[in-house]
Amino acid sequence: MLNYLLRRLNLLLITAFVLTLITFALSSWSADNATANTHYISHYLEYISAIVQGKWGLSAIDQQPILTKGLLAFAATLELCFIAFIIATVIAIPLGIVAGLNRNRSHDHIIMAIVLVGLALPVFWLAILSTMLPTLTGLVLPAGGSISAVFEIPSISGFLLIDTLLAADTYHLDAFFNRLAHLMLPAAVLSIFLTAEMTRLTRDSITVVMKSNYIKAAYTKGLSSTQIVITHVLKNALPSVIHQLRLKLSTIISFAMVIEIVFAMNGAGDWLLTSIKAGDYIALPTAVLLISGFILLTSIFIDILLMIISPVKRKSLYVD
Amino acid sequence: MLINHEFCEEKIQSPLQYTWSTFKANSIAFTAMWGVIILILTAVFADFIAPSPASGEAVKQLLLPPYWAEGGNMVSLLGTDALGRDFLTRLLKGIQLTLGGALLITLAVAALGTLIGATAALTRGIKASILHHLLDALLIIPTLLTALILIVLFGPSYENCLIAVSLSLLPQFIRSIYLSIESELNKQYIIALRLDGATNIRLLRFGIFPNMAEPIVTLLNGIFTLAILEISTLGFLGFGSPFLDAELGALIATNIEWVFSSPWLVLFPGLAIFIIILIFNIFTEGLRHAIIKVEDQ
Repeated sequence: MLNYLLRRLNLLLITAFVLTLITFALSSWSADNATANTHYISHYLEYISAIVQGKWGLSAIDQQPILTKGLLAFAATLELCFIAFIIATVIAIPLGIVAGLNRNRSHDHIIMAIVLVGLALPVFWLAILSTMLPTLTGLVLPAGGSISAVFEIPSISGFLLIDTLLAADTYHLDAFFNRLAHLMLPAAVLSIFLTAEMTRLTRDSITVVMKSNYIKAAYTKGLSSTQIVITHVLKNALPSVIHQLRLKLSTIISFAMVIEIVFAMNGAGDWLLTSIKAGDYIALPTAVLLISGFILLTSIFIDILLMIISPVKRKSLYVD
Repeated sequence: MLINHEFCEEKIQSPLQYTWSTFKANSIAFTAMWGVIILILTAVFADFIAPSPASGEAVKQLLLPPYWAEGGNMVSLLGTDALGRDFLTRLLKGIQLTLGGALLITLAVAALGTLIGATAALTRGIKASILHHLLDALLIIPTLLTALILIVLFGPSYENCLIAVSLSLLPQFIRSIYLSIESELNKQYIIALRLDGATNIRLLRFGIFPNMAEPIVTLLNGIFTLAILEISTLGFLGFGSPFLDAELGALIATNIEWVFSSPWLVLFPGLAIFIIILIFNIFTEGLRHAIIKVEDQ
């Protein structure tokens, strides 16, 4: 176990090092300073120490610290991803279980057809169509913006959902529900892709588990299908779903960024696009460092978590 | 063992023939294959089948609806856009740019990625290790962000968009090819080939690639789907092609102002993207099933 942790730490450090090299090249390109031609190494060391101290530079648009702006924007993106993830989990896991248990039967075919459609829909187009939804169907949901302008929420944690809860004594829960309503449509759009992906992964994982001998043994013990799914299948199928989903994290975040642009919500996508269009190129390395850093830390955290919760994976450690 | 005690009338099929006959038996996949062929032909000959010249802005009526809707006519089947251009022509041009671009990207990524991935899998030591750590870092960055960075570096244009998307998809292809080759290398028939003294080229040609057909098909399909989505997303964000030859994403972005008065201008390009991806996915899924079935025999 300690060996494994050390190896993950090594991966973390080296990947972070290469990442900072990339963002250093980017930021020295965007700063296009004529002096930086010769002393790359000392410039890199300066860059790293500035990064560590939190001095990431100032935005060219409004002279605000770029780190604060980036963190605020990325927090909004994460909020969107989180809501979409909850919606997708609630729908996808049962669908995946049904499809996996009835493999190659009519239930499975119907569910997989839906999945195929969900994976083929272009996200930004779907987002545009769903912005039309409230006007066309009379649905009472806001289709744009992050929160109504009447609420003035002090930024404490950066996550608007938490901040609106903290500001509950001024607006009661109105601000919170307003924010939630603004998140509903974008999260629904994002969750379509996520649901399709999770259903597919769950189905594949469950099919593999259902073929194993301990499931046959459980059937011969006389357990019912429901009992088997709850006690044996889920426990063994979910770790591999989580592992596969970890690899999709970057796709999910990019889709969330595109959706934010369409819905004109505050978030990493919107922030990045306006910064690029305004010529504020320092936003690029900041975004790369923030988003990739987040993905890196999350994936290593998930790796270690999987190792802790899954005895099968832990056993494979003893081999090497 | 011959059952009829005479001579064997049934021809023994080669693996390729057998795959083909299994694939043909799956009618949905077979239909999808014709869909793929038609789509590719459309992309290649878009300029010839288009009802009016692509740039010919014969300003007739603006924002004409499709012919089946009220007020439409048979001259412009899918109506006209805000500048009076025939929308079917625009759509065909869009399909040509998006689908053709995605196919080019898939080819380029496959060629380059296979070369690098195979080299990395067959070499040991510091070169491979540097490549892996570089790939680890590049894989962490979301592909859309990589493409965005590259296109900001190169400057927005259609060609640069293609280069940016292919470079952003390259790392994951290399990594997947590498992993597939690596898992093949440990199998006994590869070890036997090695003991026979096969060179690396021979090892790849006769030992590894024939057994990797299924993962390669899956991988290529994944790369193709991502390429379509990324080209159209970049186009939608305004980093793709300029106004004259719009690809599908840019077509949506330019017509988004009229989404309420003439929704088909936004609807059709998106549907085109959706149908392209769907048909290619069904086709490769059928192909994959056929290959698995043959390998299981």
